[in-house]
Amino acid sequence: MPAGSEAREYIALIDVNSFYVSAERVFDPTLRGRPVIVLSNNDGCVIALSKEAKALGVTMGQPWFKLSETADQLGLVAKSSNYELYGQMSDRFVGVLGECASQVQKYSIDEAFVKLTGTPTELLTWAKMVKERVWKHLGLPVCVGVGASKTLAKLSNRAAKKLDHLGGVCVWEAVPEAHREQLLSNLPVDEVWGIGGRMAKRLIGRGMYSVKDFRDADPVMLRDRFSVVIMRLCLELRGTPCLPFEEETEVKGQLIVSRSFSEPVTTKAEMAQVLSVYAQRASERLRRNHREARTLTVWAKTSAYSSDAGNEPTVTVRLASATADPVTLTREVKALLPKLTEGTRYAKAGIGLTDLEEPGQAATFDLFADAHEDRNIAPLIESIKSKWSQPSIGLGAAGLKVGQAWEMKREMRSPRYTTQWDELPIVHAK
Amino acid sequence: MRIDQIQSLDEADLTQGLHQAPGSVAAGFPSPAQDYQTAPINLTEHLIRDLNSTFLVRVAGDSMEGAGISHGDELIVDRSRTARDMSVVVAILDGEMTVKRLRLINGGVVLQAENPSYPSIHVQGLSELDIWGVVIKCIHNL
Repeated sequence: MPAGSEAREYIALIDVNSFYVSAERVFDPTLRGRPVIVLSNNDGCVIALSKEAKALGVTMGQPWFKLSETADQLGLVAKSSNYELYGQMSDRFVGVLGECASQVQKYSIDEAFVKLTGTPTELLTWAKMVKERVWKHLGLPVCVGVGASKTLAKLSNRAAKKLDHLGGVCVWEAVPEAHREQLLSNLPVDEVWGIGGRMAKRLIGRGMYSVKDFRDADPVMLRDRFSVVIMRLCLELRGTPCLPFEEETEVKGQLIVSRSFSEPVTTKAEMAQVLSVYAQRASERLRRNHREARTLTVWAKTSAYSSDAGNEPTVTVRLASATADPVTLTREVKALLPKLTEGTRYAKAGIGLTDLEEPGQAATFDLFADAHEDRNIAPLIESIKSKWSQPSIGLGAAGLKVGQAWEMKREMRSPRYTTQWDELPIVHAK
Repeated sequence: MRIDQIQSLDEADLTQGLHQAPGSVAAGFPSPAQDYQTAPINLTEHLIRDLNSTFLVRVAGDSMEGAGISHGDELIVDRSRTARDMSVVVAILDGEMTVKRLRLINGGVVLQAENPSYPSIHVQGLSELDIWGVVIKCIHNL
C-alpha cells in the first residue's frame, strides 16, 4: 500500500471566523462587508471585530469610550454582546458538526474538535463538506484544520485562516511536504498552541525560533529543561497524539461566575445582593453539569483606573460538604462582606467554585446536611424559572424583580433573534 | 463461588422489582387511562424537521397575501432545504430579508410577489441571488 493512503485517526479543529460578528451578520445583512465590532460586558472594550474593522486599525481590547468619538466618522458599527444569540448559534454549530462526525468535543464557544478517519483525500472532501454545510445551514463562515494530533489540527486551522489559496480548509497530510516544512520554518515558535509569550522567550533563548526548530528539538531535552507538557507539544507536532480527545462538559475543575458592573457597587447591602444573584447562578450551572463544590472563593475588585485601585478583598470558604444547594451558597458568599469597605467603588465581583465532584461521590453525614437540603429547593426554583422566566423568583435579595443598577449595560445589543418570541428577525413582504 | 453469584443476582432482581411498582398505590378505582399515558403532542417535533438549521422570522408587509402569508405572521424557515421553482424563500435584497416566491422559468430567475399590487423582481441568475432560507410553514394569526 502506498504511504499515506491507509485510513487512520485524525483530528479536525473547526472554528467560526469572527464568531460574534458573524452571528450578528446572519440576522442583519446590513452588517455584511462593513466594519463591525462587538463590545465586552458593559460595552467596555472590543472583544470581536470583523476584518473590515481590523483594516481600519481597530484592535482587540480597545476601550469603547475612546473609539466611540470617531466611530461614526469611520463608519464603524458597534454592537453590545448578545450572549443569548451567540450561545444559541454556538449550540447549533456544534449540532451541525454532530451531523457530520461521530465524536465532537466542544472546545470553546466558537471552536470544536472532531475525530475522523480517512485518507488525506477523503479528509479534504470531508473538510470542504463541513465548511459548506455550516455555511448553508447556519450562515456562519468556518475554517477547518485537520491533522494527526490536536496541535497539528490547530496549526492546520491557522494555516487555513492565513493562506487565502487554501479556501479556509487545510488537511496537514494533504499539503506537499516541502510546503509544510517551509510553513513551519516561517512560523514563530509562539504560534504553537499552548506556547505563550514567556515560554516562547525561553525556547528562543535555546535557539528554537521557529515551529520547525521546536519540532526538531530533542524531546528528552525539552522534558528535562522545560516540562513534560512542552515535550508533549513537540511530539504532537511530529504527529504523535498526546493530548486526550475528551468530551468535556462545560464545567471541568472549576466554575466561575464573575461580571463587571455598569455602575460601581459601593455598599455592603448592594454587594450582598450582587453576590446572592451570582451564588444562585452558580448553583444552577453546577446542577446543570451534575457537579457539587467543596470550596468557594468570593472576591470583589475596584477598577484599575479608579483612585481606589488595588482594593481586592477575597475570601475562601471550605464548605462543610460538597454541595450545589442555592441556599447554602447564598449564605456562604456573605463571608466576603466583613472584608469590604463601605464607600469603596467596587467595579467587579465574582465567585469561584472549586474541588468539583459528582453528586453523591462522598458520603455526607447527616450532621452536616442542612435541613432545607432535603426539601429540594433548587429544582423547585429552576422549574419556576423555566416556566415563568429568569427573574421570576430568587432567594433573598436575588428575588427582586426590578433590574438592578449594577446589572450589565448593553445599550447597542441586537435583538435576541433566536430566543425571544417578540424579538424575531423581520422579513419584508413589500 | 458460583452459587454466591446466583444468590446475589436474585437478591438484586428482587429489590429492583420492589422499587419498580408503578406510581403510588391509591385506595379506590384505578384510572382507566393509566396504561395509556403518553407525552402531549410536541409542536416542534411536527413543524420542524431539522432543529439546527431552522429559524423563526416575522413578516412585515402584505405582498405575500396570495400565498396565505399576512403581515405579522411567523414563518418557519429551514436553511438546509434547497430552493426550487415555486419555493417560498427568504432572500437578501438590498441588505433586507425579504419573503418572495421563487420562480425559475426558461433560465430566468424571478422573485414573485403574491399580491397584484406589488411588482415581481427579475434577477440576473440564481448565483446573483442570496437565498437565506426556504419557508416551510406559516403560522397565521387569526
